[in-house]
Amino acid sequence: MARHSVKSVRAAARRTTRTASSSGAIVSPVPMSGSPSPATDVVARAIDLTKTYGERDSRVVALDHVDVGFVRGEMTAIMGPSGSGKSTLMHCMAGLDRPTSGKVVVEGLEVSSMSQRELTRLRREQIGFIFQSFNLVPTLTAEENILLPLQIAKRPIDREWFDRVVDVVGLRPRLTHRPSQLSGGQQQRVACARAIMARPAVIFADEPTGNLDSRSSREVLGFLKDSVREYGQTIVMVTHDPRAASYADRVLVLADGRITRDLRHPSYEEILEVFATEGDEDDSRDSHVEAGA
Amino acid sequence: MIRIGLRDARAHFPRFVMSIIAIALGVSFVVGSFCFREMMNDQVDQMLGSNTDHDVYVRGTTEKKDDASGTASTGSSGSSSSLRTYNDVDDSLVDDVAGVEGVKTAEIVYSTSGSLVLARKDGNAVSTMGSPTMGIGLAKGTWRSAHLTRGRWARNDGEIALHAFAAKTAGLGVGDVTKLVYPSGPKDVRVVGVFDTDSSQAGAIIIGLAPSVAKSLVQEQTGEIGTTQYIGVYGSGNKGAPLTHAQQEELAARVRRALPKGSKATAITGDQLRDEYSQAIKDQLGFIQPLILIFAVIALFVGSFIIANTFSMIVRESMRGYALLRSVGTSPAQVFSTVIVQALMLGLVGSAAGIGLGWGMVRLIVAGMARMGTPMSGTATPGATDMLAGLAVGVLVTFAGAALPARRAAMAPPIQAMNETVNPERPVAPRGIAGAAMIALGVVSWMFCVAIAAAGDDGDPTPVAFLNDLASRLGVGWPLGVGAGLIVVGVITLAPALVGPTGAVLGWLPSHVFPVTGRLAVRNLSRQKRRTANTAAALFVGVAIVSCLGVVASSAKSSVAGIVDTGLKSDFTAMSASSGRIPDEAITAIEKTRGVDSVSRSRMLMGVTYGSGKDKAQAMTFAEQPSLFRRVFAPVENSGDADRALRDGELVVGLTVAQDNGWKVGDTVRVNGRRVVVDEEATAKARADYQARVRSEVAGLQAEAQRLAAGGDAAGAQTKLREAQRTADDASNVDPSTLVRTKTETTHRQVRVGAIIENSVYRSMVLMNDDLAERIANEYTMFTIMLFVNARDGADLTALKTRLVNAVKPFYVITVQDRDEFKSSMSSMVDQILIILYALLALSIVIAVFGIVNTLALSVSERTREIGLLRAIGTSRGQVRGMLAIEASLIAVLGTLLGVVVGVGAGAVIQRVYESNGLERLAVPWGQLGLFLALSVLVGVVAALPPARRALKVPVLDAVATD
Repeated sequence: MARHSVKSVRAAARRTTRTASSSGAIVSPVPMSGSPSPATDVVARAIDLTKTYGERDSRVVALDHVDVGFVRGEMTAIMGPSGSGKSTLMHCMAGLDRPTSGKVVVEGLEVSSMSQRELTRLRREQIGFIFQSFNLVPTLTAEENILLPLQIAKRPIDREWFDRVVDVVGLRPRLTHRPSQLSGGQQQRVACARAIMARPAVIFADEPTGNLDSRSSREVLGFLKDSVREYGQTIVMVTHDPRAASYADRVLVLADGRITRDLRHPSYEEILEVFATEGDEDDSRDSHVEAGA
Repeated sequence: MIRIGLRDARAHFPRFVMSIIAIALGVSFVVGSFCFREMMNDQVDQMLGSNTDHDVYVRGTTEKKDDASGTASTGSSGSSSSLRTYNDVDDSLVDDVAGVEGVKTAEIVYSTSGSLVLARKDGNAVSTMGSPTMGIGLAKGTWRSAHLTRGRWARNDGEIALHAFAAKTAGLGVGDVTKLVYPSGPKDVRVVGVFDTDSSQAGAIIIGLAPSVAKSLVQEQTGEIGTTQYIGVYGSGNKGAPLTHAQQEELAARVRRALPKGSKATAITGDQLRDEYSQAIKDQLGFIQPLILIFAVIALFVGSFIIANTFSMIVRESMRGYALLRSVGTSPAQVFSTVIVQALMLGLVGSAAGIGLGWGMVRLIVAGMARMGTPMSGTATPGATDMLAGLAVGVLVTFAGAALPARRAAMAPPIQAMNETVNPERPVAPRGIAGAAMIALGVVSWMFCVAIAAAGDDGDPTPVAFLNDLASRLGVGWPLGVGAGLIVVGVITLAPALVGPTGAVLGWLPSHVFPVTGRLAVRNLSRQKRRTANTAAALFVGVAIVSCLGVVASSAKSSVAGIVDTGLKSDFTAMSASSGRIPDEAITAIEKTRGVDSVSRSRMLMGVTYGSGKDKAQAMTFAEQPSLFRRVFAPVENSGDADRALRDGELVVGLTVAQDNGWKVGDTVRVNGRRVVVDEEATAKARADYQARVRSEVAGLQAEAQRLAAGGDAAGAQTKLREAQRTADDASNVDPSTLVRTKTETTHRQVRVGAIIENSVYRSMVLMNDDLAERIANEYTMFTIMLFVNARDGADLTALKTRLVNAVKPFYVITVQDRDEFKSSMSSMVDQILIILYALLALSIVIAVFGIVNTLALSVSERTREIGLLRAIGTSRGQVRGMLAIEASLIAVLGTLLGVVVGVGAGAVIQRVYESNGLERLAVPWGQLGLFLALSVLVGVVAALPPARRALKVPVLDAVATD
């Protein structure tokens, strides 16, 4: 039931924001204020981002005036306990969800006010996604899945780039297989390859290793890390796995809709330490059994 | 549990709308078809009750194999009626029967159908929608169920009485003078009475003629004189009311005893005859119900399928709920019942709606028929059994559709970790093999059927004796039907196996035009092959029926056009719209029309037989001008020289007739004809009798006058004398022809078969020249039924046409057609049938659209996450819509294509089988079939709209987050 109400509230919120914000992206230089990053080249930025669900009494603040910038060529991990707003932050950044107030700017385009058509274009050109599960179209082969974003956008296929990506993820012998014929780790690697194939400005990864065993996790994270190091890819990854976070250049920790920590190149131990103080590491996702509609 | 089910049903109601519509449609066809049949049966019984209302009938004892009268049309004699005919009995039996105790009247009721045309008050001919115009010889007491409401019965050929419906339709009342077109030409007649019957006459125009007029009309038409099929007897046992069944039996037994030995006649009860008639008529109408039921089956098939899909969706979405219920201790049976309760509710609502709809449909048909001039008085209200049948069908279908999803719900493990990994489908290969086998059997059956038809009546269709034996026993109908059934069921069975390959072939175009969406759509189709195939099947059956009939119809059209194009040399044809007989005056009028070069006439000879004794065969026989084959119709000769044969007074025989009788060119055949001649002896006797009667009457009157004069009443005596004078005058002025008694004389002649021709129009005819015909028959036994007009060279055909039309106008029923009209007269009939077909097609398309919408909706609900993913990586809304539209179109095209292939195949087989019956050319209406295909794409696009809206309503994030 709880889930339901949140959903409908979210839908209501989306409706209001959609009618409020009418038109196009603003291409404007964004001030750097509030960013703790020393780098100058910011790919995606949240400015005074607030996201609330529900009204009055049942009002839940998921993001509370968050200001953050994601630097080009970095892998950023967003961590935090469940309900801390880490997923909401990422969804707002990726244009999957609309903020209640504040702005999201990706590559100089204001995402938070985009129409459906513009969002579609943004997804085609600027953003890549890797989800926790169900990343692939089951009817398409691995190769077709990798090339899918380019074909949807009717963009030319860079074969050389494709070969390199495939070799890096090590999927060469599996290209003609359907997702159902691949292991979980292989599927996630295909998803990574697909995300990187279009060379988006930023890849958003939502718990990319959440469903994987530790070996597969290492493979996937290693590949993401390599793409950052070798091709300067920007990646924003939501995770609650400290080991996954330890691959990142930067780790943001959220609690109650605010950024509480901003660590640069933390070690695994440092991250564990953060969580020892923060407390529960429980994620709501696994323990829920609800009545359906 | 049931409460949960009911509550769920209420919550899900909007989803059920489509299922309810489908069930309602299916049930309405079931109920409607039963209702319609019962209404027709009721109407038939009512009409028989009032039209064939004698208590006892006397008829022949031996059954006749073939229709005796030569008026039967070609080709149709075999299929038209299941009514048995018996030998004719002698007219004179009336006297024997009339004397039997308990018999009130014994009479022969002469009635003729289709040979008369009545002019309306405004001078135009009364037209009906297919119902006949009948002339019945009526006098007081001849027809118990008919009662005069005004005036009196007709007494001569210048008077008529009209049935109330006919009077209303023609706008005529007692005292009005109008024209009645007899076969011999139009005549002014006065309406002297109006009568009514207990039941409506289904639009027939009934004209009460004087009995003598009706008698001579019937004799003229049949060429039979002195014999009749039936003698009707009314009994006096019930004080004028119809006899009870027991009384009928008793009377029949008495009449039977009174019939002279050797009269070859027997008496049967009126009930028995009515039962036979009613059975025969119901058999004829029987085809309507299965036709409606086919569509009922399609609707219900799709309906059960839609229900299965709908419940699959509901169950899928409620799986967590069921898991929860199970985890708190609900048994699987209880969960099952929550789903089934919903299904039963849906079935009840749908069936109830369907019963109402079916009833309304029949009412609508009845109202429509009444509007078009065929009022029905049969009751159209569904009986309790109809309603129960409809309800049972509806609920059963719903139950069948919901059972599997309900079982899935019941089997939900208490802790259900839902995952989207759809269980891989069972392999479709076994079904494919079974389907292919069935299709192969069906094709063999069709080939067998074609072989039988090709072999004709003599040859053996196959080298295997057993099969030949089978063929002679089954005829072509059975293999044709069995083949069609096997192929339809086979295709439906095979279809899932076809989805993969045809998807790849059909999908080639969309995959190339829309590289991504096209490919995704094509692959999606193959995911649930059974579902895709079943969805397509709904369209398949409808399209197959329609395209089969379309091929037959266009072949029929083209065959007629072919006859005209290749054979007909004349510029115009003229025929009679009613009786088939063209009055001599009309012929003269046409001959005298300016611009006419020559007029050839085809005269039909009545009652001609060939051979002798047991081998006597009948064939339609025509007298033609010797110039026929040069001026009117080019012969297609099988053997012999048709033109020479006709000129030399030999027989020109149609191929079918020749094959039936095993005639070859050079054979000599005995031709038996009929001539009606004046029976001098009887006529003399009739004259003498008449004169004697007049004399005695006059003498009586004169004696009376003398008596009155003697009594001093001079004025009275004067009156009587004047009366006597008048009677004598009347007698001397009497039309001598009314006293002429005729008799039939049979003629025999040995004639050589000069040629055998295979023009389809002549296939079942025998032709001879006029000279020969006149030696076999005479003017009383042959009638002109068709004229061929050749225009003078260089004449303006359009102007000539107008002059010809004007020339025949006074005869009301003669139509003059030029070559194009002659072609299209057939076509327009075919087109009318096609209109009904298109209505059926529209219906099956509507049903199929429901099916496609529903299947896609289910598919979309299953693919919520996948569509969300596609949207997340940049698929636009248009692309999602396009993908679904392509999927839907491919389903529709698949169904249509299968339907067109099977339909055209069936049509081609039918054409081959009936090639010798005039269906000479195979014409596939490619344009029309192409239109079907184009339409199916459109159907798909339209059907994809609602599911696409639904898919796009789900926000990307929710779609991705759904677990």
